[in-house]
Amino acid sequence: MTLSMKKYINQHPNLRVIIYAGKGGLGKTTCSAATSYWYAKQNRKALCFSTDPQASLSDIFEKDLFGKGEQKLAENLFVVEIDADRKITEFQEEVRQKIREMYGIDEIPKEIDEYISTSSYEPAMHESATYDAMAALLASKKYDVYVFDMPPFGHGVRMISMATILDVWIDKMAEARKKAAEYKEAEARIKGVSAEAEDAVLNELDEIRSKLDFFRETLTNSETTAFFMVLIPEKMAILDTERALKMFEKLGIKLSGVIVNQVYPVELLERKDLSEFLKHRIEMQQGYLKEISEKFGEHVRAVVPMFEKEPKGLEMIGRVAEHLFEKPNLEVLKRV
Amino acid sequence: MTGEKEKKGVSEVSKAVKEVFYGMASHAVVRQMMKTRMYLEHLFMLITLGDMLGMPILPPYYSLKLLPYALPNIKTWKRRLFKERDVTDMLY
Repeated sequence: MTLSMKKYINQHPNLRVIIYAGKGGLGKTTCSAATSYWYAKQNRKALCFSTDPQASLSDIFEKDLFGKGEQKLAENLFVVEIDADRKITEFQEEVRQKIREMYGIDEIPKEIDEYISTSSYEPAMHESATYDAMAALLASKKYDVYVFDMPPFGHGVRMISMATILDVWIDKMAEARKKAAEYKEAEARIKGVSAEAEDAVLNELDEIRSKLDFFRETLTNSETTAFFMVLIPEKMAILDTERALKMFEKLGIKLSGVIVNQVYPVELLERKDLSEFLKHRIEMQQGYLKEISEKFGEHVRAVVPMFEKEPKGLEMIGRVAEHLFEKPNLEVLKRV
Repeated sequence: MTGEKEKKGVSEVSKAVKEVFYGMASHAVVRQMMKTRMYLEHLFMLITLGDMLGMPILPPYYSLKLLPYALPNIKTWKRRLFKERDVTDMLY
C-alpha cells in the first residue's frame, strides 16, 4: 500500500525535520521550497535551509538570500541560505579573539595565526561550518518544521558519517584528557597542594559532543526526521538512488519516501500533433517509471509533473506544493 | 614575640622534614607521573592539532575550537615530536 506524502506526514505527527537528498539538478531545492511553503500554509512555522554550497534558494524564491540570515518570505515561511565562506571567516576571528582574551596578548604568534588562516582551505571545513549552523538552528527550536536541502548525495551522507567518526575521536580525546587530569590530581595530592579546577578542554569537548549527538539523534530518529529522495525517471537517477539507499542503511537512516520529479504528462501521448521527440521522451520515462515502481514501489510518495515553465517564484512553488501534497498522482505508477 | 618566632621555627622545621621525605619517597613517583601526563597531553595534541605537522585526524573546524587551550604547549610538543632520538634516550 503506497502512502502519499500528505498521509505520511499525517501518520508522523512528531516530524520536525524534513530532508531532501538526491543527485544534483533533480529538484531537491524545489521540493524543499514547496514543502516549507505547504507547511507555512498549514499555519506551521517553517524554515527552509539550504546546505548546498551551490545553493539556489535565492533563485527559486527570486530574492537575494545568500548569507543574509533567516529571512521571512511570507507568513510562517522563513528561509536561510548560509554563506559558508563568511561563516568560516567569522569563526576564525572568534578563535583569534579567544586566544587574545585567554592570554591577554594583542598579537597572535605568527605561526598560530598562519595555522588559523590556512585552515579555511582544509577539507571538510565548509561541511563542518554548514553542519554547525544546521545544528545550531535545530537546537534553537524556533521553528515547528525544518526543511533541509541536502547537497548532492556525497556531501549529504558525509555530514552524518562525520558525526559518527567525530564521536569516536572525541571519546578517545576525552579519555586521554581525563587520564591526564587524574595524573595531575594525584601529583597535586602527593605534593600537598590543592588540585586545579575542572578542565576547560573537557568542557569544550563535551559541548562539541553533545551538539553532534543531538544532531545525529535528530537525524536518525524516524519519528522526528523524514528523509526523502528526489529522482527523475532516468537510468542514472535510479542507479544513484539505489546507491544512496544502501549508504543510508549503513548509517542507520530509514528512507521515508521517494519523490519522482519532472514527469511528462502521459496524456500527451494521445495527442495527434505530438512531436516524435516528445513522444520518445515520454515513452522512455514510462519505461523508467515502471522500473521505479518495481524498485521503490511502496516508497513513492508523490509524482510531480514537468511544468511548462521553470518552478520559480512563490506562485510556481505553490503549484509544486499542490502536486507534492494534494495531488500526488500515484496512479501513474500503477498504470505503467 | 618569642612564641611567634618559635612557631615559625617549628613550621620551618616541619616543612623541611616534609620536603626531605617528599624527596626520598615521592619525588620519583611524581616525576614519573608528570612524564606520563606529558605523553597523554601530547597524544591529545596530536589528535587535535595533528594537521599542524601534516597528520590530519580531527576535522580542522574542531581543532580550531580547541586550539586556544593547547597554545602554551605547542612549542614543547613540536620540539619533542621532531627531536632526533638515539639509544641513550632509553636510559633516561
